[in-house]
Amino acid sequence: MRCSLGKVRLGVFSLVLSLLVSSCGTSAKGKYYGKTVAPTDGIVRYVTGSEPRSLDPAIGTGQPEARIYMALFDGLVEYHPKDMSPIPALAESWEISSDGTEYLFNLRKNAKFSDGTPITAKDFVYSFRRALSPELTAENAVLAYFIKYSQAYNSGQVFVKDSSGKFLLKEAAEPKNEAGLPVVELAKTSVGTQTEFDKFINEPERLTVAGTEKERTKLYEKDTKLKDKLAGMEFVPVTPENVGVEAVDDFKFRIKLNQPAPYFLGLLAHQFFKVVPQHTIEKHGKNWTRPENIVTSGTFKVAQYRPYDTLNLTKDENNWDAENVKLKGIEFYPLEDQTTMMNLYKAGSIDAIFNHTVPAAWIREIMAAYPDEYMNHPEAATEFYVISVKKPPMDNVKVRQAFALAVDRKALAKLLVVKKPLVDFTPEGIFPQYEEARKKVQDVKLKELNISEEQWKNRIFDPERARKLLGEAGFAVSGSDGNFQCQNFPIENVSILYNTSESNKVTAEFMQDQWKKNLGITVPLKNMEFKTFLPTLTKVEYQGFGRRGWNADYMDPFTYLGLFYTEANDGATGWSDKKYDELLAKANRTIDTEQRFTILAEAEFYMMQQQLVVPLSTAATNWMKKPYLKGFYPNPGTLHAWKFAYIEPDSAKWDKDVYNIMKEKDSLFEEQLAKLISTQTQFEEKSKAEAAKTATP
Amino acid sequence: MLLFIIKRLLVIVPMALIVVSITWGLVRLAPGNFYSGEKKLPIAIEANIREKYGLDKPWYQQYAMMISNVVRGDFGDSLKYEGQSVNEIIRRHLPYSAILGFSAYLLALFIGLSAGLIASLKQNSKFDYGAMSISMTGQSVPNFVIGPILVLIFSFGLYLLPPARYNGILSLIMPVITLAAIYAAYIARLTRAGMLEVLRSDYIRTARAKGLSEWTVLLRHAIKGGLIPVVSYTGPALAGLLAGTVVVEKVFAYPGLGSVFIQALLNRDEPLILGVVAFLSIMIMIFNLLVDISYAFLDPRIRYE
Repeated sequence: MRCSLGKVRLGVFSLVLSLLVSSCGTSAKGKYYGKTVAPTDGIVRYVTGSEPRSLDPAIGTGQPEARIYMALFDGLVEYHPKDMSPIPALAESWEISSDGTEYLFNLRKNAKFSDGTPITAKDFVYSFRRALSPELTAENAVLAYFIKYSQAYNSGQVFVKDSSGKFLLKEAAEPKNEAGLPVVELAKTSVGTQTEFDKFINEPERLTVAGTEKERTKLYEKDTKLKDKLAGMEFVPVTPENVGVEAVDDFKFRIKLNQPAPYFLGLLAHQFFKVVPQHTIEKHGKNWTRPENIVTSGTFKVAQYRPYDTLNLTKDENNWDAENVKLKGIEFYPLEDQTTMMNLYKAGSIDAIFNHTVPAAWIREIMAAYPDEYMNHPEAATEFYVISVKKPPMDNVKVRQAFALAVDRKALAKLLVVKKPLVDFTPEGIFPQYEEARKKVQDVKLKELNISEEQWKNRIFDPERARKLLGEAGFAVSGSDGNFQCQNFPIENVSILYNTSESNKVTAEFMQDQWKKNLGITVPLKNMEFKTFLPTLTKVEYQGFGRRGWNADYMDPFTYLGLFYTEANDGATGWSDKKYDELLAKANRTIDTEQRFTILAEAEFYMMQQQLVVPLSTAATNWMKKPYLKGFYPNPGTLHAWKFAYIEPDSAKWDKDVYNIMKEKDSLFEEQLAKLISTQTQFEEKSKAEAAKTATP
Repeated sequence: MLLFIIKRLLVIVPMALIVVSITWGLVRLAPGNFYSGEKKLPIAIEANIREKYGLDKPWYQQYAMMISNVVRGDFGDSLKYEGQSVNEIIRRHLPYSAILGFSAYLLALFIGLSAGLIASLKQNSKFDYGAMSISMTGQSVPNFVIGPILVLIFSFGLYLLPPARYNGILSLIMPVITLAAIYAAYIARLTRAGMLEVLRSDYIRTARAKGLSEWTVLLRHAIKGGLIPVVSYTGPALAGLLAGTVVVEKVFAYPGLGSVFIQALLNRDEPLILGVVAFLSIMIMIFNLLVDISYAFLDPRIRYE
C-alpha cells in the first residue's frame, strides 16, 4: 500500500512536470507562438487596453479608446497606417491658404452615418462646436485651440464692445527678429468662396476676456491697466457661431486658425475631430453612446457591447468606403494584465495585442524566437526625468548638467531591452527630416559656443565632466573610481519621484545607482500612486527629479517641444523662457518645412542647454500580432486604420520577419492606399495646372 | 428573536451611511482628481468640470448632497464612464461576480466540509495528515500562483480549457477552482478543529452512551455544534466572494465587480467607489446577521432575547 501510494504520487508528480515542460517546449520550438490558425469568420480579435471611458470620440482621451474610435468614427483625414501622416478620409481633398491659417476641405458626397443619414459639412460644424462646448468639458479641447475663437468659446470668454459698438482688438504680438533668422511675411489669402462668416472670421482678432466678473477681477489684480481699459464696456459672450469653422456649402468645410500651425492637418486625424451624428445626440442626450442608440460614421458600427468584456463591431455597409473594407468585424477586449493577454494570444483566442504588452522578462526570448510576430519598431514615445529647476541645488544649471551627464544611457537601454538611448529631447527615428535640420543647427551652435566635437558626442555619458561641473557648482566630488563622495551636496533637497510601477522602479534604481557610482550622491527614491503622483508633478511640488514619459499627439517635433511652450506650459519643471517661446512662435509662422525645422532645432538646442530634463530613452514598440493579420503595421503611435487590415488564409502569404514589415510591399495594401491618396494628389495637380494657366494667359 | 432581527436590520442603514461617509472623506483627502492626467488642463476647462460635478460648492453642501442621494439609493453617474449610472454598473457586474463567487463558495464548502469531517473522524490517520497538509498548502499558496499553474496545465498542456475571458461554463472552471482553493483549505481546518472539540464533549459521550449509531450522533448532535466556527467564517466570506475578487478576475479577465472596484479606486471615480462600498458593507452586515441567526439553530445554548 505504502509503495503503491508512493508510485501514484510519483506518477502524478511526473505527469504535472512533463506537462509543464512540454508546454514550454512546444512553444519554444514552434515557428509561431502558440496556436496560429487564420480565422475564417473575417473577424479580428484585438486587445486594446483598459475599458473605454466612453464611445464618444470627443470624451475619451486614451489610446485604448483612440483605436476603437478609429474603427467607429471617420474624420476629415485619418492616420497613414505606416507613418501616421494624414491621408484623406471624409475629406477627399483639401487646400490651405498661402498664409497657412485657412483650410478648405472638399467632402465626399457619398458619405453616410451608420443609420443612412448623409454626412455633410454641417455635421462637421456641429461636431466641432459640440466638442468645444464648455458644457461637454472635453479634456482634449486644448488640441483644437488653434481654431480661431475656439479657446474663447471653450472657456466661456466674452468679446469686449465699446460704446460706439466697435469690438476691442487683441494687441498683436508682432514677430521679433532676433538670431538673424528671416521672419516670413505671410500673405493674406483666402481659400474657397467669400461668405459673410468668412468676412467676420478674417477680421483682425478681437480681444477676449474671462466671462465672469469674478474671474475678471482676478485679472485686474494682475493687470491694473486692463481694468481701466474695460471700464464701462459691454461684454458679449463668444458663441459657438463665432468659432472658426464653417460649412461653405453642403460639401465644403472651412477652418480658420488664429495662427499658422503647419502640423494642424496631422492633428485633424485625432479622435477629437471625428464627425458625430447631431440627430442622435440631440434625441438621446448623454445616452447616445449606448449600444441601442449609437449611430457612427466609421467603417465599423457597434453590434454588441458588454463593458469589461467585449465590444463587438461589424462592418458598416453604409460607409462610403465599404467596398474596400475587408474585415467583417472586430472584437475589442478590454484587458490590462499582460500575462493574461499573452495566454490568450498563445491560445489563439486573439489576433493582436496593443503596445507594450510583452512582459519585460519575456521580451528577449520572444524577440529571438518569433521574428514573424514580434513588433520592434521606433515609437513616438520618450522617457525622461524632469527637473524642478526653481529649487536649489537644481536651480544651478551646472548641477543639472552634471546629473544628466552622469547616466550611462546605453546601459539603461540595454537593461530595459526594447529602448534606445535618448540624448536630445525629440526622439530619434521618428522625424527624419527634422533630425537632418537638427544636425546642421547643432554643428553651427557648437562652433559658436566653442564646444568640441568629442565633448558633444560624449553628452550621452561623460562622468568625468559631470564631476567637474559639479565641482564648479560648489559641490566638489572627491575619491576615486567606485568610491566617489560628494560631502556637501544637500541630499535632503533632491529625490527621484515616480509613479508606482515595476518598470519605473527598475529605471529609478538604475539612476540611483548611476549617480551613486559616478557622482557619489545617493538620491532617495519616492514612489506615489498615479493619481497622487500627477498633481505633485504637474504643480512642480516635487524636489529634484520627476519621472515623465511623453507620447506624440501628432507627427511633428512640436508635439515634444511644445511641452515647454509659454508660461502655462505642461513641462512640470517650473521653467518658462521668453526667447524659447518666441522661437517656437516663429517656427509656427514659418510655412517652409526646412526653415521651420531649423528654427525648431534652434529652440531645442537652446532648451537643452538649460538642461531642464535628463533624457533617458526612446521607446520601441513591444507587441505581437499573428502572421495572418495583414495590412496592420507597427506605426509610431500604435494606432491602426482598420480598413486596411485583413486576414490572409494562405499561409504562404503570411507576414514574415516583421522587423522589415515597413519595407515589404503588400500589393493589396499599396493599391488601397494609393487609391485613397489619389483624390488629394489629383486635386493638387489640378490646382497647380490651373494656377499655371492663370499665370500665363 | 424577531425583535433582535428588527433591531439589527435597523442598524444596517446608519452603519452603511457611516461607512460611506468615512469612504467619502478618505477619497476627498487623497490627492489627485478623476480628471487629472499627464497633460495639465487649462484653468477654464478645469473650472467647467468642477462646476459640472458640483465640486465648486463648499464641502458640507457636497456632503449633504451625496448623503441625500445615497439615502435615496441613487449614487449618480460614474465620473469615468460617461453616461453610465453607478447602479447600472453594479447591477451589470454583480451577476458575474455572484456566479463565480457562489460556485466557488459551494465548491469550497463541499471540499472543505467533507475533508474536515473525515479528517476529524479519522484523526491522526494518513487521510487526516494528507488532507491537512494539502489544506495547509492551499492556504499558503496565493491564488495568483494557483491560477497561472492551472492555466499552464489545462490550457497549454491538455488544451482543455480557455486560458481567460468569460465565455460559457467551461471558462468558469479554473476561476472557480482557483478562488475556492483557499476557502476550501480554511474550511477544512475549521471543520476539523470544530468537530474534534465537539466530539470530545460530554453531550456527545451521553449520546453515544444512549446507544445511538455513530451516524446519528454525528449528523444529529455533533455536526451542529462543530460547524459554528465554519458558519461564522463563511458568512462574511460569502459576502466578499459575491462582491468580486480582484486577483482571480484579473488573471482570468473575468468581468466581475472586483475589477470594477479597483479601477474605480485608481480612477478616483467617487460615485462608483461609494456605490460599491455601500453595497459591500450592506452585504457583509446582512450575512453577519444571517450567521448570528443560524447560531440559534445550530447551538441550543444560544438565544437572542
